[in-house]
Amino acid sequence: MCTKPDMIPKCLWLIVLVGLCITGNLSLDCNLLNVHLRRVTLQNLRLLSSMSNSFPRECLKENKDFELPQEILSHTQTVKRGLREAFYEVSIQAFHIFSQYTFEPTWKLKHLNQIQMGLDKQLEYLEQCLQEEENENADVKEAAMKYSGAQGPQVHNLELRRYFNKMHNFLKEKKYSHCAWDIVQVEIRRCIYYFYQFTALLRRK
Amino acid sequence: MLALLGATALVLVAGTPWVLPAAGGGINLNCSQNLEVNIIDDNVTLKWNRRDESVRNTTFSADYEKPETDNWIRLPGCQHVTGTECSFSLPVLNVFKEIKFRVRAEQGITSSWCEVISITPFAKAQIGPPGVHLEAEDTAIIVKLSSPGTKDSIIWALEGSSFLYSLVIWKNSSSVERRTKNVYPRDTIYELSPETTYCLKVKAEILVLRKVGVYSPVYCINTTVENKIPRPENLDVSVKNQRYVLKWDHAFANVTFRVQWLHAFAKRNPGSHLYQWKQITDCENITTTQCVFPQNLFLRGIYYLRVQASDGNNSSFWSEEKRFDIEIISIIHPPIINVKSTSDSLRIYMDAPQDSENEPVNQHVPLSYEIILWKNTSNAERKILENNRDFTIPHLQPLTVYCLKARAHLVDKKQNKSSIFSDAVCEKTKPGNSSKSWLIAGICLGLFALIAVVYFVKVLQKAITYVFFPSLKPSSNIDKVRTLLFFVNV
Repeated sequence: MCTKPDMIPKCLWLIVLVGLCITGNLSLDCNLLNVHLRRVTLQNLRLLSSMSNSFPRECLKENKDFELPQEILSHTQTVKRGLREAFYEVSIQAFHIFSQYTFEPTWKLKHLNQIQMGLDKQLEYLEQCLQEEENENADVKEAAMKYSGAQGPQVHNLELRRYFNKMHNFLKEKKYSHCAWDIVQVEIRRCIYYFYQFTALLRRK
Repeated sequence: MLALLGATALVLVAGTPWVLPAAGGGINLNCSQNLEVNIIDDNVTLKWNRRDESVRNTTFSADYEKPETDNWIRLPGCQHVTGTECSFSLPVLNVFKEIKFRVRAEQGITSSWCEVISITPFAKAQIGPPGVHLEAEDTAIIVKLSSPGTKDSIIWALEGSSFLYSLVIWKNSSSVERRTKNVYPRDTIYELSPETTYCLKVKAEILVLRKVGVYSPVYCINTTVENKIPRPENLDVSVKNQRYVLKWDHAFANVTFRVQWLHAFAKRNPGSHLYQWKQITDCENITTTQCVFPQNLFLRGIYYLRVQASDGNNSSFWSEEKRFDIEIISIIHPPIINVKSTSDSLRIYMDAPQDSENEPVNQHVPLSYEIILWKNTSNAERKILENNRDFTIPHLQPLTVYCLKARAHLVDKKQNKSSIFSDAVCEKTKPGNSSKSWLIAGICLGLFALIAVVYFVKVLQKAITYVFFPSLKPSSNIDKVRTLLFFVNV
């Protein structure tokens, strides 16, 4: 778990590098959706926080460092769409992890349902925007891709998937114990939090 | 001495065949030139070329190396093959890291490693066809899709919720009218004709990776005979007096209805235990085409609702699923317009409307606004679309009365809703030359101020001179006094 302070910036760096350059003009709908995306994301963060408020002390010794790889630092060709895509990936992977949670007690399940509802809404907003852009800017995107190298978004997504893969493997290894779930939840919350900070960048243009 | 030399020579000659292959560099066998890897779902195919066609009795074997290890592991199904390709199932490994493949050509006991290729399996993988299962109704087809690859797929282990499916459907008789639709893994295609053969194919894709899969094979199915009892139609949900009211249409009398609900997010993951339609107990066995249920049943989130009619023996198919978003459910009220005018523009702010009970309506709904603007004197209307609540209409004429009315639209495309137009608000723009006249006044004032300052400085100068630099010449009065005193003293 990222209890060490130097671990926290690693997720931050991923987002920083994905969101450094803000270019392009997006449809107004996306700008409006961003406002609501931020609101929904904040709600989800609050939910996730309240769920992991009672983090049991005995789970601390099972800490795991799901370090985000530093190689992402070398990719500076970042577009607003890249940040949105990365956030979409994070949301989908978080949703996927939570949909495998099948624990009692029922109060936790109810809470979990709310998180899934929230993430679903988050995904709706992101999908609407991404699909619209896909249709609108098909030509612009192709030109941009040729210029910056088609590897760009693929590499981001590999890094993100490696990160979530570590969480999946951790859960399997610990046989989906309560501690393992709590640790993974906190990690997901931390990651979504940094993306939340960067959705502010999406708003500015 | 000679015997020693002889023995050494013998050993050397005899040992060469074993020594050289161990070094592995000497023999130049028919090595592959181009090693190609193709991955579709979990199936990997390695292809290579023979350089020399004439040499027979060459077999090939392939190995792979996991990331960050130094072990080359044999690939089952790729050992001692005679052809130039082999297929195998992806072994258990981290598909997001680079792995290496190598192929070796063998002739008898001699062999050499020829080609090493390293790839990241996930980046290289292509999406195969999804699994399709269909169920026919009279005017609809229920589609159940399973993700590409097997259930324990290694390559798509993290993609449980990532796949987006696209479906193409057409009537078997006329392949011209094709309809393409984005579908969930469990979805229904409506608006079909009964007793008709429809054919469809589906492909999966991962949106942000720009990975598009191959289409499934074409599946054809016949829709059934028209059901005796039609489905309920035109579901609509609204809020009234702290309760939800679901209304629908149904042509028949003497039928009972029941209503079910589902979490919307379950549609993303229909394999999970959460994909379970549940009854609304207040809406079971009801005879009216409307149902009222308390608001605390659904406090937050998005749901789907469906209704079924039954006459005791037979029941209809389920109605079209109605999307029910708690945040959006209330009636969209027209905004309250606040206007501030300048000489050539109007600054507009859309205030939150209030509902009939004078409580502010839910502000969290994403809305866009449509504004109609016209001059009071003419009928020519101008339509403006805005996404923000606070904006300016520029380039207007000064000292003119402009009127405007507005209505709000839901941004959410899945629920097409808008409010009625608000009442018209009129405002007069300010005089245009105001800035010019201020400028002239300013200049005049400046001039006056300059004159006043100059005068003041002059006065000040006089006073200073008087106080600090007095003239030495006495006044004429003193001369008279002096003359008088002179005459007195004498």
